[in-house]
Amino acid sequence: MPTMRGLVQFIADLRNARARELEEKRVNKELANIRQKFKSASLDGYQKKKYVCKLLYVYIQGYDVDFGHLEAVNLISSNKFSEKQIGYLAVTLFLHEEHELLHLVVNSIRKDLLDNNELNNSLALHAVANVGSREMGEALSTDVHRLLISPTSKAFVKKKAALTLLRLYRKYPSIVQNTWAERIISLMDDPDMGVTLSVTSLVMALAQDRPEEYRGCYVKAAQRLKRVVVDTDIAPDYLYYRVPCPWLQVKLLRLLQYYPPSADSHVRDIIRESLQQIMQIAMDTPKNVQQNNAQNAVLFEAINLLIHLDTEHTLMMQISSRLGKYIQSRETNVRYLGLEAMAHFAARAETLDPIKKHQNIILGSLRDRDISVRRKGLDLIYSMCDSTNAAPIVNELMRYLQSADYAIREEMVLKVAILTEKYATDAQWYIDVTLKLLSLAGDHVSDEVWQRVIQIVTNNEELQAYAAQTLLTYLKSDCHESLVKIGCYVLGEFGHLVADNQGSSPIEQFLALQAKMMTSTDNTRAMILSSFVKFVNLFPEIKPQLLHIFHLYSHSPDPELQQRAFEYMSLATLPTDDLLRTVCDEMPPFSERASILLSRLHQRTAGTTEKKTWVVGGKDANTDGAEILMAQNTGLKRTFTTIVNGTRTGTNGTPSTSSASGDLAGLDLSASATPPPPPPNMASAANLSPEWEIGYNKLYFIEEGVLFEDAQIQVGLRSEFRGHLGVVKLYLSNKSSFPIGSLTTTVDNRSAPHLRIDSKSLPEPSVPAAGQTQQTLFFEAKGPFSDAPTIRISYLAGALQAYTLQFPILMHRYMEPSNLSAEDFFKRWRQIGGSPLEAQNTFGLVAKAGAINESFTRRIAEQFGWKLLDGVDPNRTNIVGCAVYHSAQGKTGCLLRLEPNYERKMYRVTIRATQEGVPQALARQMEERLSQGPLLERTYTREQPRGISPNEDLTGY
Amino acid sequence: MAINYLILLSRQGKVRLAKWFTTLLPKDKAKIIKDVTQLVLSRRTRMCNFLEYKDTKVVYRRYASLFFIAGCASTDNELITLEIVHRYVEQMDKYYGNVCELDIIYNFQKAYFILDELLLAGEMQESSKKNVLRCISQQDSLEDMEVSCRFLFFYSEHRHGGGSLSTRIWRSEASIPLPLHY
Repeated sequence: MPTMRGLVQFIADLRNARARELEEKRVNKELANIRQKFKSASLDGYQKKKYVCKLLYVYIQGYDVDFGHLEAVNLISSNKFSEKQIGYLAVTLFLHEEHELLHLVVNSIRKDLLDNNELNNSLALHAVANVGSREMGEALSTDVHRLLISPTSKAFVKKKAALTLLRLYRKYPSIVQNTWAERIISLMDDPDMGVTLSVTSLVMALAQDRPEEYRGCYVKAAQRLKRVVVDTDIAPDYLYYRVPCPWLQVKLLRLLQYYPPSADSHVRDIIRESLQQIMQIAMDTPKNVQQNNAQNAVLFEAINLLIHLDTEHTLMMQISSRLGKYIQSRETNVRYLGLEAMAHFAARAETLDPIKKHQNIILGSLRDRDISVRRKGLDLIYSMCDSTNAAPIVNELMRYLQSADYAIREEMVLKVAILTEKYATDAQWYIDVTLKLLSLAGDHVSDEVWQRVIQIVTNNEELQAYAAQTLLTYLKSDCHESLVKIGCYVLGEFGHLVADNQGSSPIEQFLALQAKMMTSTDNTRAMILSSFVKFVNLFPEIKPQLLHIFHLYSHSPDPELQQRAFEYMSLATLPTDDLLRTVCDEMPPFSERASILLSRLHQRTAGTTEKKTWVVGGKDANTDGAEILMAQNTGLKRTFTTIVNGTRTGTNGTPSTSSASGDLAGLDLSASATPPPPPPNMASAANLSPEWEIGYNKLYFIEEGVLFEDAQIQVGLRSEFRGHLGVVKLYLSNKSSFPIGSLTTTVDNRSAPHLRIDSKSLPEPSVPAAGQTQQTLFFEAKGPFSDAPTIRISYLAGALQAYTLQFPILMHRYMEPSNLSAEDFFKRWRQIGGSPLEAQNTFGLVAKAGAINESFTRRIAEQFGWKLLDGVDPNRTNIVGCAVYHSAQGKTGCLLRLEPNYERKMYRVTIRATQEGVPQALARQMEERLSQGPLLERTYTREQPRGISPNEDLTGY
Repeated sequence: MAINYLILLSRQGKVRLAKWFTTLLPKDKAKIIKDVTQLVLSRRTRMCNFLEYKDTKVVYRRYASLFFIAGCASTDNELITLEIVHRYVEQMDKYYGNVCELDIIYNFQKAYFILDELLLAGEMQESSKKNVLRCISQQDSLEDMEVSCRFLFFYSEHRHGGGSLSTRIWRSEASIPLPLHY
């Protein structure tokens, strides 16, 4: 380890300084010295480096060293590595992304990025990853991207380039071009674990923002996870205390949560397999803290994924019993994480029953000695609350509130207020609990809470008298100011409803409020003054007392109070009380637009860039798109209608959140932004590779052969169809003399849901020279369809190679010839009748189609699966056929009449079938084929693709 | 899933190393350091390694005289962040040999270089100890070649005890190796 003597001595000096002043003295002396040295031209590189190091140390100690920035930054153009390295360290420590000196270094950084020396590349990448700005991104992102994908880049440069690109992407998303997706995803298969890990981080960020474009990463992540977890295909160096690269596992498990569960059963299988293995491994007793942490890190992420998938019920059962143990663990970390996972579970679960079993333990966690655990406990309690347990939970929270520490009180009050409002079963309970809450919570109440009470009382008629009466009782005692605020408002509005009650006469209401004026803040006093002017209107009998108060306050030193008093006095002493009555008319109900409570709650959690897969709160909070949106976006006030649903049951049956999404329209961020152009779907038919038709046409009617072939790769296909089911086996052969990597196939199905595609297996990502891998796919017909599915096949052979091919799979694969007598044919034909169960297309041949004749027409019709019925049609040139189309919905009888006109090179095809949609799709498919004429129908020798054994039986699937 | 900052803090509340992966104003950094220092120093043993701070999460662990503090998003995986910190300590231990706070003070630039090989843009870049060490050794041998005429000087504060430095520091906690196993 090389060291610099001068630097070490200097640090020792500073550490020896017994007092801060002595340290400062030593620092100032050194800074003066360095300033002097920098001015002299004779400094050599080593000395510059040493002085910059001293500056760095001084900077870390908290001193200002601005004068040396330029000198420090200049070091990066040194041709000695160690000096350059210190220069770059200075860039990352002294400068930030908007620092003006950065302009000066962009060119040096680019020079090092393009350098042949990888050490210099990595220094430059470090710099960009640390201080990269939008501007730097625009200047350097293509160079960084090149380092990432270039086949000549070393692994340790690639991984740095991936993370540098991530930094630039975070600063300025458009630097990542949308044509990069496939190439970036393919790097998740890199043989180097560091590259895989780094690229996965990059993909995670991209997939969150551009889920469609990065859809391919889902299968990749599932496969990679299985290789690491189940196959433990990993270098020993990447085992962390016997856990295979836990960092990668956690990232892959998280990435899988960014997408809805896969529809493909094979992908689901391999994910399940990995999850089972993770749960299994978690049972092992760890040998040390590190293994324990790594195992648990993976386990809790796996639990999050399971909750997200919501399909693995057996595994879910295991989890919920385990979580019950975790929240009682002696390890504080595990208690904390257990509560957190349970809150996630509560946010998604259909039923809260498994959680409610642990209600007492969870309530007990509010008394944990660690505030971090208490907070998690509170989150969970909030999430697990429903109408059945709201009352005991609210009671317990209020009991705990009195002893809770200040750091958590405000949040508790907010949560209790929301729960009380949400689950109130009767109006009085709501008033009692909320007012008690306010009196207990004291100063730890955000304004939203008391304002919300006023809104609710105003909007719910049956609450008003009870609220006025209860508040008056509070006002007569020693109560907190927030209650005074609610009290004065409610009495001002609804005081007259209780004026006839014992002890609630106008003068008594007045005296109660007046007594509070002494001790209240100016804000509250202003509110009380406003109530008093309303009293003038409601209770003319106490007008003299009220006027007296106005008179007093018209001398208030506070301008707001003074002005109000004056205005109210004038209003009250006008010759007629018309104006007074208008001004003091009962307030209209609040528009109930925003639940200020919920927006307040989510303000706390908003502002992170990470996509939240769930929010704290019950299932309804997580199914309500608006609330999730609010949690994801800072400052977005959400619309929300809540009525205390107690005494109103029946009269107002609207679910409390029903209007949320509708009202949100004006606020919805997605509505205001113009939708971005859809990302290119490379697997779609729009991107078919040149020469794709050769194999497609060749295999259109036959079951096995070569779908595609070039110098590097051969794609063989073997298929078998029975009824509505089909199995296709793809044989992907590497014809080149070098291995290929990251072989990826993506199927695009335009005919969903009428055609269902499922994979039974996926190809191996790497194929050795002259090797082969296979993929088995199921194609199930579910209805009429007319778009053949396509497949994208990509792999790395130095650069990325990719093809998009079309499967020769259309309805004819599911047709079965069926015999019919002439008599039956006509009977059925008439029974089925015309449109919509009939389709008729008349068409000519394409220009180059060549001549057609009867044998061609008959052959094509037969290959489509028709049983040709001779002698049915009186015109002998016409062809009549019958077939059954198999789909999952059942069999569809189909009848054909094909009228060729060989002279004019035209056909008229008429199809009738017992199910709508079938004749149209079939007629269209026949037209497509027939109109090409014999052009497509060259006699192909039935070549055997590599690796297909002729006797292989596919029906075993 | 990224670390926003990593701070190495002595038990006396002195910052030994600070790395920011997000751009913040100096005054915001100072505020975070002040708040987080206060929060972390007041934690007792046997409490969990996680803290909530505003809308972020703080993951920390104490190694002898030093607190390692990582700030991350509230949605991040806490334990895996904790093990990133541990891997960093192990990596330094492998490099310095029985790493202690003094190593990080006297060779702070190396501590930064090691961190650069481990974390980039706040994300784990390499989890293989061997690979990271190979990188750093390569850098060191280049430096050795470049300054071959200079002789090596060990800071004697803890390596050789006493020397020209006061015994007060020699006894300091800063020379206790950071424990790698609990």
